[in-house]
Amino acid sequence: MEIIDQVRDYIVKNFLFGDAGAFTDTTSLLENGIVDSTGLLEIIQFLETTFAISIQDHELLPVNLNSVENIVRFVREKKKP
Amino acid sequence: MRTMPYSPRGNSMEPGPADPDMLLHRLLEESARRSPDKIAVVCGAARASYAQLNGAADRLGAALQACGLQKGDFVAILHENSFEFIAAYFGALKAGAVAVPLNTDLKPEGLEPILLELKPHAIIASDRQTEKIWCGKDEALTRTAVILSDNARIPRLRGVEYVSLLRTLADGRHVLDISDAAAENDPACIIYTSGSTGRPKGVVLSHKNIVANTRSIISCLDLTERDVQMAVLPFFYVFGLSLLHTHLAVGGTLVLNNQFSFTGAVLEQMMAENVTGFSGVPSTYAYLLHRSGLAALRERLPMLRYCSQAGGHMARQLKLDLRAALPDHTRIIIMYGATEASARLTWLDPRDFLRKIDSIGKEIPGVQITILDENGNEAAPGETGELVAAGPNIMRGYFNDPASTALALDAHGYHTGDLGYRDEEGFLFLTGRRDNQMKVGGRRVDPQEIEDVIIESGLAIEAAVIALPDELLGSAPAALVVPSAAGVSAEELFVFCARRLPRYKAPQLFLNGTALPKNGSGKIDRGKCAEIIMRLQAQRKMAPGA
Repeated sequence: MEIIDQVRDYIVKNFLFGDAGAFTDTTSLLENGIVDSTGLLEIIQFLETTFAISIQDHELLPVNLNSVENIVRFVREKKKP
Repeated sequence: MRTMPYSPRGNSMEPGPADPDMLLHRLLEESARRSPDKIAVVCGAARASYAQLNGAADRLGAALQACGLQKGDFVAILHENSFEFIAAYFGALKAGAVAVPLNTDLKPEGLEPILLELKPHAIIASDRQTEKIWCGKDEALTRTAVILSDNARIPRLRGVEYVSLLRTLADGRHVLDISDAAAENDPACIIYTSGSTGRPKGVVLSHKNIVANTRSIISCLDLTERDVQMAVLPFFYVFGLSLLHTHLAVGGTLVLNNQFSFTGAVLEQMMAENVTGFSGVPSTYAYLLHRSGLAALRERLPMLRYCSQAGGHMARQLKLDLRAALPDHTRIIIMYGATEASARLTWLDPRDFLRKIDSIGKEIPGVQITILDENGNEAAPGETGELVAAGPNIMRGYFNDPASTALALDAHGYHTGDLGYRDEEGFLFLTGRRDNQMKVGGRRVDPQEIEDVIIESGLAIEAAVIALPDELLGSAPAALVVPSAAGVSAEELFVFCARRLPRYKAPQLFLNGTALPKNGSGKIDRGKCAEIIMRLQAQRKMAPGA
């Protein structure tokens, strides 16, 4: 499965409870109240386990984690050899 | 003291001498008069001066009056921390209304009973929040004359006027009428908190309550116009709201950041804006310590004068870790309070931080705390009892709830429900809650509300919710549930809870046989339930793949 599908599926299943509605790959996760700070930690844990990456504290930025699109770009960059 | 219930109309219950300096909106007006060009609010790239903020509040207040608002009417505010929130809040006060900032995390089901109770004259909402209003019953809007919002997609309701919030803040068509100004004992705000029955209770605070408390906090924290506060706590929460009051009163600057989860970005902004003060609840600091690299940045925070903490007990280790991570010049100020006390009751002088690390300190100016034993007598030093607080900051009562008001307020003052003691030197220490309420990330949560939802699902026979220690939130709800059928899974129950409750209230679920342990009188034995949950949790952790 593509990274984008895995990330989208995870968020839809765990934070939207299967109801994707108007959710898109550019929807802001925080501004739309989809995740709170605890939820963000859960996403980080999911990304670290699923994609075998390590996310540093200074990388906790909206540009890396605030939407499916941003997360996918961030994961791809982290996975580059 | 105050034992009378609050009545919504004709609200000059204690007509005292009119002291305009005790009116809450005067705090903003005085700062705007003293330093009109000073930056009051920073929100992202936008900045607003005191003159701009005060002018916008005047225009909003005038627009509310033009829509028929009268003194004592309720104005519900459903808006994230923003320039618009602050202008709406002070605009409502200037117009003589009672401002009611509502929890933006509420789901429509949670919002509905509050709107039904309030029947607000006006609702001021952000685009995102506006859509929630319609998910409730139309009955909640029977007295609503106007909704100020910029969400164009909202369905229209007959008899309700729709006005653009942004245009109102910018447009000076109406003039504010201050001929029927509020008096200091008139209610200024209603702040909702979860009560002991699990129903949200509206705490009615007067202008005087808040102004007196604001002045006390300013003196403890030595706040001045040079202070720049990073505000990550929401203004619908009394601790967040007190940051707004204190900083606008001294003519300081508030930097609003609603994305605390991105701690890296918050710290960057603190450095860029030369922030002098930061305030949080225990989970704020746990998160900051675990996921921000704060310690690595300590050299880059030369202006950070203090960090204050309130909103529940913060573990000693967390306090020590915070001390080690913060720059040496940054003082840590532990505070204690309650919505019913307008915000704060005590503070620990930072000079005593290490020596009295488990203490909530002593009373702030104007407050007196008495420890009463079970018989209502004052406890001796070292003896545990309930903390009862008196002072000009203590609420007028709970909205529309004389029974709860009579339980909370009596001749001794406000019964906090917190148990604790005072040591020989006068420092106060908390030992627990009189009832079962828990604090999750600084927010008060009543187990009964969660239990009711679990039972409502039809998937459970009985449920007991207890607080489990949580590294991040201080404590988090966990439920021991007896399923209604063999096939019921914890997952399916969790989905139901998460749909009905704010996320922080959705409990970790543990299923348990056919019945919950009970005590002699047939009541659920919460202590035994907690033991079972701990055991199941330990098993879950040890299970392969967990």
